[in-house]
Amino acid sequence: MKKDFFELTTETIDVGEIARRVVPANCGATVTLDGYVRQFTSGRETLYLVYEGYEPMALKEMEKLVGKARGQFEIENVGIAHRLGKLEIGETSVCIAVAAPHRRAAFEACEWLIKELKRTVPIWKKEVYRDGEIWIEGEK
Amino acid sequence: MKVQVLFFGATADETGEREIEISLEENVKANRAFAEIVENFPQLKNHKLLFALNQEYVGGDEIIKDGDELAVFTAVSGG
Repeated sequence: MKKDFFELTTETIDVGEIARRVVPANCGATVTLDGYVRQFTSGRETLYLVYEGYEPMALKEMEKLVGKARGQFEIENVGIAHRLGKLEIGETSVCIAVAAPHRRAAFEACEWLIKELKRTVPIWKKEVYRDGEIWIEGEK
Repeated sequence: MKVQVLFFGATADETGEREIEISLEENVKANRAFAEIVENFPQLKNHKLLFALNQEYVGGDEIIKDGDELAVFTAVSGG
């Protein structure tokens, strides 16, 4: 039974809870990405971030990505949670947990999923600095 | 016919709008409809834009229908 899930939340993301929720009996490894807010990007200090999403489309795009991943990698369940709203330095912005019978497929699928999420899922990040703010357009 | 147009992030800031209703002629194709929207908000031309119709990325040849949900946004930056 597939237990995929896709969530957008303004609350703190519990990475361990996301990871445990994807595990079925036939799996032996879960690879979990914990993406969090970086304080320094190329030497410039970020004070905090604001994420905004086109929520229904973002959830659909996440589901599509998982369907594609399953066609390419030997994986079972995938859980994706993305934070929206204001995030402080160090807070988790995105969590992707991939459960698979064997670890290699889980690592590969997790890397592919975050790369594609950054390219296709309609969510935007605003970086707020001491001296201004900017919506990031596309991957940096 | 009337459709909703949504803006997010940078496109919401540029237009000062998050959601507007606009009138379009019947049977207009998506690429034409989005070109018309951008003409009405020329400040959007400073950005690389993506377009969605009813929460799917557009190809361009789709026929827009009354009540459709269009969205104009910049290249995404989640993660």
